[in-house]
Amino acid sequence: MSVLAAIAVGLLMGVAFGFLLEKSRVFEPGVILGQMQLRNFLMLRIFLASVASGLIVLALGTLTGIVPKLDPKAVLYGAQLLGGFVTGVGIALAGACPGTVLAQVGVGYRDARLTLLGGLAGALTFAYLEPAIRPVLLTGSPGRLTLHGLLDLPFWPLALGFAALLIAALYALERWRPWRAELGERADGVLAERPETGPLPSGTAPAGR
Amino acid sequence: MIRLSDRAWSPYLTGALIGLLQVPAFLLLGTALGASSSYVTVSASIAELFDPAIRGLAYAGKYLDGAKNWWQVALVGGIALGAFLSAGLSGTRRSGIAPVWTRALGTANPAVRFALAFAGGFLLLFGARLADGCTSGHGISGIAQLAVSGFVAVGAMFAGGIATAMMLRAVR
Repeated sequence: MSVLAAIAVGLLMGVAFGFLLEKSRVFEPGVILGQMQLRNFLMLRIFLASVASGLIVLALGTLTGIVPKLDPKAVLYGAQLLGGFVTGVGIALAGACPGTVLAQVGVGYRDARLTLLGGLAGALTFAYLEPAIRPVLLTGSPGRLTLHGLLDLPFWPLALGFAALLIAALYALERWRPWRAELGERADGVLAERPETGPLPSGTAPAGR
Repeated sequence: MIRLSDRAWSPYLTGALIGLLQVPAFLLLGTALGASSSYVTVSASIAELFDPAIRGLAYAGKYLDGAKNWWQVALVGGIALGAFLSAGLSGTRRSGIAPVWTRALGTANPAVRFALAFAGGFLLLFGARLADGCTSGHGISGIAQLAVSGFVAVGAMFAGGIATAMMLRAVR
């Protein structure tokens, strides 16, 4: 595919992705921070639903041959544990992920522009440091390991089974607390203060139920 | 009945539709959804204006050109446009800083928030490039392919995210 065609496809897919991130509310810093404080589970619902649907379409795609091969990333335990942890710290401080920060910029959050700039600086810093990090953390990969590969099974039955498990978990989550209860007054995931928690910092109006 | 003017759609519906985006990604590009490597493509392309030698770095060089790299840049740019359109349809455009930060940080000082946003963004992308993926690439896409790297990285992301978020003030 030519670069120009790829950009056109990317733009269309991105608009759909951004539209869905906004409609799902998962891009809201209150939703992301609330998830990391285990007080709001909207992010987990969207995440697990997208994984489940991805598992199903990729299972069907590989089974029918429409998707010729998967593209799993290679395992690098040290880099993925450390890098994943640092990413998580960033998610909590930014209230965003690398994709959702663009949705925050799109809807107008000011601070998200700083997150975006910080992200570009972080990526560039990594690119310059990569030659020094490589011998320490980015070598000796055991390869593109997958669960089905380790179990020596075809992808599709395991994928469909795992998707069924995730759907059951989502069903349980919805029974425990309906998703609408996690939206909040402004649909930003910020819920009314619980009575037992302390007074709000000055300048914040408590949102009524 | 869902409407374009709704403020929120079901997380199960929106999540499932996001998962369906894997179909065009695999059929047209032969790869899965991701976001974080586009930050290398953009920042290294800008850096190349001042430091042409960056092209010679093995890592940075492989993200500068090609359909897959610029597809992802367009995808990430499209996210901003899609969110802008959706928020316009439902009247949920935002301005300033999200009110949740006053609660979580215990101050309404914008300078504190701006500094933390920059630092958070830096760690977000430094970490994601070290891990070779973010919540999209390792999370949505890695786990959907049953990739061991996805399970490891997502577990570590939640550990880092929860440990840090718990040090901030409770958001409700």
